Amino acid sequence: MNEILSQEKSIYIQIREMIENDILRDILLEEERVPSTNELARAYSINPATAAQGVNLLLADGILYKHRGIGMFVATGAKKKIMEKRKKNFYDDYVKRLVAEAKSLGIMKEELIAMIAAEGAPEQVFR
Amino acid sequence: MSSIKASQIVKTYGKKEVLHSINLELETGKIYGLIGRNGAGKTTLMSILSAQNPATSGTVTVGKEPVWENPAALEHICFSRELNQMVGNTANSMKVKEYLKIASLFLPHWDREMEQRLVREFQLDTKKRISRLSKGMLSMVTIVVALASKAEFTILDEPVAGLDVVARETFYRLLMEEFTESGRTFVISTHIIEEAANVFEEVILLDEGNILLKENTEELLERAWYVSGREDEVDRATAGYTQHHAERLGRSKGVTILTEPGEAFVTNCDVTVQKVSLQKLFVALCGEEGERNDGKR
Repeated sequence: MNEILSQEKSIYIQIREMIENDILRDILLEEERVPSTNELARAYSINPATAAQGVNLLLADGILYKHRGIGMFVATGAKKKIMEKRKKNFYDDYVKRLVAEAKSLGIMKEELIAMIAAEGAPEQVFR
Repeated sequence: MSSIKASQIVKTYGKKEVLHSINLELETGKIYGLIGRNGAGKTTLMSILSAQNPATSGTVTVGKEPVWENPAALEHICFSRELNQMVGNTANSMKVKEYLKIASLFLPHWDREMEQRLVREFQLDTKKRISRLSKGMLSMVTIVVALASKAEFTILDEPVAGLDVVARETFYRLLMEEFTESGRTFVISTHIIEEAANVFEEVILLDEGNILLKENTEELLERAWYVSGREDEVDRATAGYTQHHAERLGRSKGVTILTEPGEAFVTNCDVTVQKVSLQKLFVALCGEEGERNDGKR
């Protein structure tokens, strides 16, 4: 949970995604306690109401659960749930944008498919 | 304590009306950001809310109690003013520790331990005279007064003015620590909008003596959009919306629009749609004068 908050997205969405990412990467393990909304607020200097908004989305999805008086925990099966949800969003978040960009560059469908097929485990380059 | 309520506050200085019938309710347990341009009336409004300045007309109440000359109401309010070193300012000749001592006498819930902890945290030399402090150190003193006051409603006027970036982050951290532990209400004015935006639960935008809007910060930003592209496409995409602060460069145009709360912005036009930061939105809503000047030329 050490990512930097950006201006591009709503803060509560970023809080949700950060917790999800940590679960996917085994930084937060299932049945482990996650930071409280107040802890998140202090760590990121954000309003606790905003942190709670993000956490509430995860509670509603059953990715986190509340243990009265103790705190919030990662639910068993949370990792699988997040993967399934992100797979569902994959088309909207990535495929549509990929196709739109390919279109504007005049990349043909076959060309695009060939490109994807040729990629093994791509290394990400940041510049 | 339920809330601070201001009803139809008007303030005139001489012939100039600086606040025009302001209605405002501040609930407990929230951090409010008060933003507005220089001369918008922020400090005047804050000083009236805390009864340090009489309104020309209108009332301010805490719960059911009017605040004006009412110690029972005022013990719940702390307005930590911006310190300045103008000649004739009585605080100037005081040492920092004397200034803090006097503040503690006027604020019945003063937390001496917290005062000392904050003085250490900011490495303030309490033996120095107010007149000898740098701008940043003056701000630190006002922050110490505000936080150590433990007042249920705490109003800070530009607490981060003159602070370096490390000290500003320290302030936001201290504020969040105190807020999450106590749930006190804070009203904070600032010109450094971007870094404070995440701290404000609600933002109050004051423009030329009027409250332009008072809204949950996240909800406000979720309905603010920057639409850019070729001028005719942008105009087609934003038809029916008020275009704020149009910027033009050759054939391209960019405008900021606000959709209704909860309403998405949908378009099939060839335009780029981006989220807007609070600072950019502020400029779009309050910075129209630059555009007016362009029109004259």
